[in-house]
Amino acid sequence: MNRTVLITGLVLTAAIVVILFVGLGKDPQHIESPLIGKPAPQFALQAIGSHETLDVASLRGKPAIINFWATWCGPCYQEHPTLVQSAKMLGGNVQFVGIVFNDTEEKIQQFLNERGSAYPTLLDAQGKTAQAYGVGGVPETFFLNAAGQIVAKYEGPLTTEALQSELAKAMK
Amino acid sequence: MIILFLLTMLQVKVPDAQEFVGPPKGVPVAGAMLDQRTNEVAALLRCPVCQGLSVADSPSLMARDMKQSVRDMLARGYTQEQILAFFERSYGQFVLLKPKFQGVAALVWLLPIAALIFGAVVVFSKAKKLEEEPAAATDATPETVDPYVARVRELVEKS
Repeated sequence: MNRTVLITGLVLTAAIVVILFVGLGKDPQHIESPLIGKPAPQFALQAIGSHETLDVASLRGKPAIINFWATWCGPCYQEHPTLVQSAKMLGGNVQFVGIVFNDTEEKIQQFLNERGSAYPTLLDAQGKTAQAYGVGGVPETFFLNAAGQIVAKYEGPLTTEALQSELAKAMK
Repeated sequence: MIILFLLTMLQVKVPDAQEFVGPPKGVPVAGAMLDQRTNEVAALLRCPVCQGLSVADSPSLMARDMKQSVRDMLARGYTQEQILAFFERSYGQFVLLKPKFQGVAALVWLLPIAALIFGAVVVFSKAKKLEEEPAAATDATPETVDPYVARVRELVEKS
């Protein structure tokens, strides 16, 4: 009896401790994306500085990087050079797309004029595309494989190392 | 120029709820009822950029957009369950202020209850055992008496 009681008590306590440890150790703002492994939600948005629209279906055939950002977001300034440089280096093999929400076309245009651009930037006027991708804050980046499936999501400003590491998943 | 702008706007397509949760299963809501239902449903959704605030309570731009989406969907006849499923599809259970009773969320509730029941069973069985063996417990008492005290008693009895 004593041994059974001890083992059962230990198992229950250990399970509670593990659940509390895992639960309390998590970043409360981190969103585990349920879209990983699923096709990227459809959109066709207007490109800044032109009257053309870009369709998510047109990204198929090559790995793609969709970066959600905004001009009012500090870390977006930090990661912008990384994205532009990487797009210039990998441009032939990987498609880069920026999606801006909660922002104005004038501010975006000004940002791109001042800091450079190497890929299309789209305007998500009502934030519905960001919602469909489960964006919880900016910057946030989604990595798509050539079949148009989301294979990874990165929260926060991208570094070159992080970009390469996540992109490797999309290249498989 | 205006025609070009209008043509571009016609080509713009944002992800639609129908793509994710099918056609509306409810009745379109309008007027004051729409305001009320929007607040009720938005109160069930967590604002992704806030600390523990609902979409209904948060003043953030992200929450405002989400609340507008809730409003649009209610106006089109989507049910509360469909709206919650729409957001859950993108954000997972994180977005639900009342998580579903499944997986780890269920364990968080069940394990402490199981521990309480187990503890109660142990205490009850121990108490029962003590009740059943009062004599044994009494007999055991002299054995635990300090030998020094026993010797003192013996000397007192003799004198």
